[in-house]
Amino acid sequence: MSRKNHIERHYTKWGYIFVIPFVVVFLIFSFWPMASTIYYAFCYLKHAGNTNPEFLPLIGKSWYQNFKDVFVAKSFWDAFKNTLLFFLASAIPEWILAFWLAAMMTDRRMKIRGRFLWKTAFFFPKLVAGSTLGASVLSNIISVVGQGTGYTIAASMMNGFGFKPEDFEFFTSVRFVIILAMLFMHFGITFIYAIAGITGIPVEVFEAAEIDGANRLQTFFKVTLPSMRPMLFFITVVMVVDGIGTYDIPSLFGPYDTFRTNLTLMMYMEKQAFAGSYAYDKASAASLILLAIYILFSSVIYFTLIRDKDEARLKKLNRQKEKELARSI
Amino acid sequence: MSTNELTLSADKKKSIALKITTYVVSILLTVMILTPFYYMIREILFIKLTVVHGAGDNTQILYEPREHMITLKEFFALFSKGTWIGFRNSVIVTFISTILNIYFSALTAYAITAYEWKLRAAFEKFIIVAMMIPSTVASIGFVQMCYKFHLINNLTMLIIPALATPMTVFFMRMYLKATFSREIVESARLDGAGEFRIFNQIMLPLMKPAIATQTIFCFVASWTDEWVPRIILIDTKKDIFTLPLAGSYQGGALLMFLPPIILYIFLSKHIVEGIALGSVKA
Repeated sequence: MSRKNHIERHYTKWGYIFVIPFVVVFLIFSFWPMASTIYYAFCYLKHAGNTNPEFLPLIGKSWYQNFKDVFVAKSFWDAFKNTLLFFLASAIPEWILAFWLAAMMTDRRMKIRGRFLWKTAFFFPKLVAGSTLGASVLSNIISVVGQGTGYTIAASMMNGFGFKPEDFEFFTSVRFVIILAMLFMHFGITFIYAIAGITGIPVEVFEAAEIDGANRLQTFFKVTLPSMRPMLFFITVVMVVDGIGTYDIPSLFGPYDTFRTNLTLMMYMEKQAFAGSYAYDKASAASLILLAIYILFSSVIYFTLIRDKDEARLKKLNRQKEKELARSI
Repeated sequence: MSTNELTLSADKKKSIALKITTYVVSILLTVMILTPFYYMIREILFIKLTVVHGAGDNTQILYEPREHMITLKEFFALFSKGTWIGFRNSVIVTFISTILNIYFSALTAYAITAYEWKLRAAFEKFIIVAMMIPSTVASIGFVQMCYKFHLINNLTMLIIPALATPMTVFFMRMYLKATFSREIVESARLDGAGEFRIFNQIMLPLMKPAIATQTIFCFVASWTDEWVPRIILIDTKKDIFTLPLAGSYQGGALLMFLPPIILYIFLSKHIVEGIALGSVKA
């Protein structure tokens, strides 16, 4: 036994060796920029190419000056609202659509054909039109999918029901078009990962649910989703990261319009730091706020999805038992 | 007996209805997704785009329908010199960064799975936290760092950071958690293979599905990335720009979407499916 332990210990050093490249690069290229961004948020750092931050209290200003500047700006609040709207309004329908289709296509009783073709088709937009050079594709997506759908909804609402044109203004606005375009660009990724997650669940689990007389809805919520928890976590994180950090689709509608209907937080940050004003300090403060939003969403996801509540409870019970045992001895 | 039959047939009817709905929705979605590409191809083949530079930064794009389909000569004229330079730079950046990303992510995930080192659990938690915070949040610090070390207008800053991508590590770790078997590693050790050799020659081929999946996603992400090039490669006079920044519309768009499609055709067969990847415990 001790010999085996010795051998295991001999190999553990390779664990450290293998993560060295990752840790070094992460510290230099991710951690250091992050830390310095936090520092710059409390500094004076303006003008292009300026690499000389001055700590705000040292030059006689209050430490929260940059945050104050950001919070006072009306454009920031518009960007904030737009970002949350774009993310929530595109992510929730996307999630429902992707998971519904994935569940239907993996259902053993229905035997839907051509899963590979559907996967390719749904992933296609992301594959070819990820940037503004795909603009000709993207603008076609926007006009065909976005405006097409919007006007169809508007027209069908006009047919009776007594709606006034003002009531469906939203469906023909820039915001609605952006939301639809975002949904279509990202839908394929969620779909592919959802299929990968569902097909990973052993068939016996579904058979057991079927024998117990569970219907499709029950099977999905009580069996499928809980059994693919790590994948679900991964999908949701990808969704949050891409959804809140979105800038490519909205920026297709021009850098700024007067009503700021397309401005997102990333665009706001870029505007402050790189395009025009070169106020790195203010942009740092804005990116800290962005960071706070990420942390908020991520912690919600983390505590609802990845933390195994049953396992935590089991651990607690075990610990209590051990304590009692120790006491009784 | 009769009630049993009745419920069975009702279930069947419901099944067929659901099946039809699924097909209709998928076909509708596919049509909506593919129509823009039809328009794009038509735009390239039948419409002549000319960019007119006005006063200041104003540019205007004129659309003229061609009388006949595009000729070969006109087709090659779509690709300007800038497009090719951008293409070359993009290829360099994307290929190297994808290879670095995949290889080192696999290595890191393997280190977490195969060895029982002390900080293992803490490191895994750290990966999870890091993947939830995208690097774009730290753009200001990143650009300032580039200024300080005179690495602005340098392609290396697009390549090296890809080596540490927590998202890929998490995916690889998820895959290894489900498929890893210690016996293979132990028997390889008995045969006298070194640890690096075990990883390169045994583990990497075993991780093929996860590698294929992540290669597609990382390649597309790097190939279409616009954010980092836009903030780092600011000197447009030099020949340092990637394809998303090259200003040619039609030829650039064609070059933009061909490599990901070719890669997808080669790798899509291997995309993770059917392995106990999603399961909580394997």
